[in-house]
Amino acid sequence: MDCRILSVQSHVVRGYVGNKSASFPLQVLGFEVDTINSVQFSNHTGYEHWKGQVMTADELQVLYEGIKLNNVNHYDYVLTVCDPVLGDNGALYVPENLLPIYRDKVVPAADIITPNQFEAELLTGRSISTEKDAVEVMNLLHSMGPDTVVITSSDLPSSLGDQYLVALGSQKRLRADGTMVTQQIRMDIPRVDAVFVGTGDLFAAMLLAWTHHHPNDLKTACEKTVSVMHNVIKRTITYAKEVAGPDRKPSPAQLELRMVQSKADIEDPALVLNAVVL
Amino acid sequence: MECRVLSIQSHVVRGYVGNKSASFPLQVMGFEVDSINSVQFSNHTGYSHWKGQVLTADELHVLYEGIKLNNVNHYDYVLTDSHISSSVQLEQCTWALCETLEAPRPAPGDRRGHMVIELQVSHEHRRLRCCALSSVLAGETSLVHELSFIITLRGEESTEMGYTRDTSFLEMVVDIVQELKRANPNLVYVCDPVLGDHGSMYVPQNLHPVYKNKVVPVADIITPNQFEAELLTGKNISTEKDAVEVMDLLHKMGPDTVVITSSDLPPRLGDRFLVSLGSQRILMPDGTRKTQRIRIEVPKVDAVFVGTGDLFAAMLLAWTHHYPTDLKTACEKTFSVMHHVIQRTISYAHEMAGPGRRPSPAQLELRMVQSKADIEDPAIVMEATVL
Repeated sequence: MDCRILSVQSHVVRGYVGNKSASFPLQVLGFEVDTINSVQFSNHTGYEHWKGQVMTADELQVLYEGIKLNNVNHYDYVLTVCDPVLGDNGALYVPENLLPIYRDKVVPAADIITPNQFEAELLTGRSISTEKDAVEVMNLLHSMGPDTVVITSSDLPSSLGDQYLVALGSQKRLRADGTMVTQQIRMDIPRVDAVFVGTGDLFAAMLLAWTHHHPNDLKTACEKTVSVMHNVIKRTITYAKEVAGPDRKPSPAQLELRMVQSKADIEDPALVLNAVVL
Repeated sequence: MECRVLSIQSHVVRGYVGNKSASFPLQVMGFEVDSINSVQFSNHTGYSHWKGQVLTADELHVLYEGIKLNNVNHYDYVLTDSHISSSVQLEQCTWALCETLEAPRPAPGDRRGHMVIELQVSHEHRRLRCCALSSVLAGETSLVHELSFIITLRGEESTEMGYTRDTSFLEMVVDIVQELKRANPNLVYVCDPVLGDHGSMYVPQNLHPVYKNKVVPVADIITPNQFEAELLTGKNISTEKDAVEVMDLLHKMGPDTVVITSSDLPPRLGDRFLVSLGSQRILMPDGTRKTQRIRIEVPKVDAVFVGTGDLFAAMLLAWTHHYPTDLKTACEKTFSVMHHVIQRTISYAHEMAGPGRRPSPAQLELRMVQSKADIEDPAIVMEATVL
């Protein structure tokens, strides 16, 4: 498999977010990963302290220029934080004036996006109260550009109970006979009682990998992706609680994803859920 | 295995040198790798073109501060690469350029916004040769000839350009290592002391004393080639006996583990091989010191690779970790991994280039992700002799 990805994300010295979260798993799966680090910080911003440097648009351009001058600017995938990390649970992560740019420029250029419910609502201007709403929102997102949309989490009630959250996916593809077909799926995912950082970046990277291996089967691609996430998160939580000690809340440092320890799960994830085709 | 490495090396967007060369293999072997990127370039300097940015000593310090403030500055290993000096090379060239043009060097404290230096580089040599054709300083334009590439330095860096700048990054690294060692006396610092090869200096003369007097003394494992070993000790190597004496001298300077990665000594297996040597000083339970010395003959490769030195240092770190008192096995595994990766790379490169054609630097990038299985569990393909 000679598949080359250009990943433009942040770099942290310690821990797993951005490029740190995406590179190792993708490389373990055999992808060539070219990485442009848009920032270099000591660690993610959930710690008490963080320090580092941010790249300017010029500097990013200069790096790309170098690649281009050598005539090696040939990629099969581009991976960036679009994963439109705009917000969650009603709170915006990034300033309001970026929303139009995401909506009008970034999303239309994207092929695969992984918004959460809040972000999906913001991008389409539509509310999601039912599964039917979610499907309509995903169709709206398709019409904006991306053929693959995964709503990574939502407030929709799960039939398996409140220990689960509902995620949905939709993939539009062109059949051999020229017709458009859309596959939509729903997943009930076990909730986790902790705040993780870097999981969204890992999710986007793994979705890239598994849709690459299963380009016409969003159900399988999502089952594998969500299963990897689940395995990594479980290992991480177990370790974090062990290191923190009984009855103590694990620190951000202790909650860093157990990435290198999860290599086997990344390579060949044991499925932990079944996605339902809608 | 809970083992954390702090790796301060360069980063390239594409390809495998510095941190790109060291991280994946170490992570695949289960090491936690915290990486500080000392530079970010599009690709290594063996290509026709390369562009990017360098980290200043201050910026390095700031990143380390962040780690320290969170109280997570606890490491088992520190790993640094040759490319510490690449930022130095840029400045040396800038100054040489200024001299060539009889232009004033930016004074320390001189804030000049964007400074664009254009250099012509002979890419057969790793040393940057400044055959400067023109420069644009502080917005003054002059004749612009055809240029190979552009190095853009950020404005803030021009304030730090002064006569002491060339050593400050390296000294900052040494400061960090010393502080980490105070926190963990068992910390192992693995250093590839890149000064040059086959009589050619890669780094300016004024860095010698820094390596010799500051860096090597705090290193625990070093991987010089013959030229570098001779330079550091001031002693020539013509025979195996000389090599052993030089390694003993290097032990005296600090590191308990020394691997001379390549030499001109005559190989017993014929001229398709080259001779590498290693020496490890161990403290015995009864308090005495024992030195194990080995010799290993490694197949020569008919190509120029970049990033192999960085991969070697990383893998030596890993295998001496697993075999802390058995340099023979650690070296057999390390050299074997190198062999597998290089063979895979050469095959692929020739395939890509086509018959009768010399592979390009892009085609010769190490086949790192494809070599995962070899990295995890290298088949031993050469035997080291205990001297």
